[in-house]
Amino acid sequence: MFIENPLNTSEWTFPILEVLHISSFAIAIGTVALVDFRLLGLALREQTAGQLTRDTSAATLISLSVALFSGLLLYSTDPDKFYLNVSFLFKITCLLLAILFHYTIHRRVVLSDSSMALGRLVAVVSIALWVGVVFGGIFIEFVKPGLGFD
Amino acid sequence: MLLSLAIWLQNTGLFRFLRESDHGYEILLALHVSSIALFAATVVMTDLRLLGWALRGPTIQSVVKQMRVPKRIGFLCVATFGFLMFGIKAEEYYYNVFFRTKVLLFLLVAVHALIFRPRVYNRAAAFSGVKLAAGCSLVLWLAIVCAGRGIGYIHPPVFSHHFTMQIQHQIPKGLK
Repeated sequence: MFIENPLNTSEWTFPILEVLHISSFAIAIGTVALVDFRLLGLALREQTAGQLTRDTSAATLISLSVALFSGLLLYSTDPDKFYLNVSFLFKITCLLLAILFHYTIHRRVVLSDSSMALGRLVAVVSIALWVGVVFGGIFIEFVKPGLGFD
Repeated sequence: MLLSLAIWLQNTGLFRFLRESDHGYEILLALHVSSIALFAATVVMTDLRLLGWALRGPTIQSVVKQMRVPKRIGFLCVATFGFLMFGIKAEEYYYNVFFRTKVLLFLLVAVHALIFRPRVYNRAAAFSGVKLAAGCSLVLWLAIVCAGRGIGYIHPPVFSHHFTMQIQHQIPKGLK
């Protein structure tokens, strides 16, 4: 039996969800980036990376949650389009790695005030993973549909 | 006048090259959005600090001062990638109502800066109007995100022939 997704009954829901998604992931990734640039010694040097992450982690968590839920709703409007899309799979891989990395290694290194070199390495990995998520997301619209094995 | 400027811009060598390249526009868009993340965080965290909702460790003055350079660098990146995207489709964007709205909103951002920078952001211990400044800033930037996303939703018809040929493939099937 075919059940219509209520999100698909108005042409406004998708753009509104998209704007919510963009605004929230911008804040989530941006707050992580601020900590990363602190780790690299490039910005916000009046406090340690640990203090900075304690001050921004609530904003990161809240906006990341909003981004994830709006993302799930966006996905639900046309699942076939997404899971059969190379760029989407790349994005989700980066996203899972980024979240895992953020709440384990990244968090531990930031809060323990480890050596500068280790901090820089962690910052570079973190920025690369999150930028990968953004690139994967943007290219969903631009890659050929399908997984390319046909 | 603005239209002929847009047509001239998109036909310069750089923008011809970018338009005819394989993924020029998409890569610029991804870089634009990535730098938006950094820029948005500096704006939003500054405003949330003004509102007293986040980043409450350091003082307001310290946050405003420390965010200034990253904010400017972030804006420079966002604006550069945005301008390159504009140049690729300048003529089409000229007719795009969301693009026009976005330009208008940037004028409001300038007005916001003229009003609040000397009164709030540069002032050491003046707290009147702080929350108004932060609220207006958040609303303005959210509106800019909406307008920016809207640009991609419509493809207004372009009237001069020399560009129409190149964007034919972007016009939705029903309109061809």
